[in-house]
Amino acid sequence: MRVLEPWLAEPLRELVRESGARVALLMTASGQVLAQHGFTRSLDVMAAAALGSGILATTGELARLVGNEAGFGAVVHQGRQQGVWLAGFDTPRGRWVGLIVFGRGSTTGLVRLFFERFAARIQALAPAPTVVREVLAEGFERELDASLRQLFGTS
Amino acid sequence: MTPARWQALLEEVTLIGGVRGAAVVSAEDGLVVHEAAMDGVATADVAALATALVRRAQSLLQVLGDEVPRMVTLAATRGTLVAVQGKLDLWLVALAEPGAELGRLRLLLGDLAPELG
Repeated sequence: MRVLEPWLAEPLRELVRESGARVALLMTASGQVLAQHGFTRSLDVMAAAALGSGILATTGELARLVGNEAGFGAVVHQGRQQGVWLAGFDTPRGRWVGLIVFGRGSTTGLVRLFFERFAARIQALAPAPTVVREVLAEGFERELDASLRQLFGTS
Repeated sequence: MTPARWQALLEEVTLIGGVRGAAVVSAEDGLVVHEAAMDGVATADVAALATALVRRAQSLLQVLGDEVPRMVTLAATRGTLVAVQGKLDLWLVALAEPGAELGRLRLLLGDLAPELG
């Protein structure tokens, strides 16, 4: 498990343990990864985050087209061997998205239950938004490297 | 089976004294198919957890070389959950308060569950 901010670790650990998730990914609505469990390759994380946030944005637009202004609560893809749960939730730091991959040892209902608890816990624990620092060209590479090292544990 | 028939079946269960709610649950995904419950009963949560319980019981009985479970009862200090297998991987689940007529509840669930599907 890798997290960008330490306070995310325990709620994510509990979500994975209780729901029986194989893979978990927490990201912002724009696809920036905040925490992950179960991925081994950084490219997979980036692709999953981009695809997940894209799917949620697409279904949100679809919801608006059919008159559901609030959007859909969650998107579930149910396969023969594993399923994917994708849902957004509001936090003091904007809208975040969770992507959970679960196998036959779990169920959609169980993932829904513990994801809702996870979202409530994140909402309660999230520190207030900090002033966004200006990303300067000279610091960009260093900041990016630091974030990637934190997420994937590479030296 | 039609939703109207499901509703009638669940209302029959909730008429038993001390029963707080009943639901038809899909064990495949742990979701509620139909429900009849008092206010304050989170049937979606009950369905998810009851399914997890049923699956654990199935795993346990497989290890023991027994048949699949037909009825699972979880007795706790603040109530009892009874789940009975129906057709098509559907389970009839009831949540009862302490002191509910559990014997009658079990008999009724056993009679009604084969009608699911």
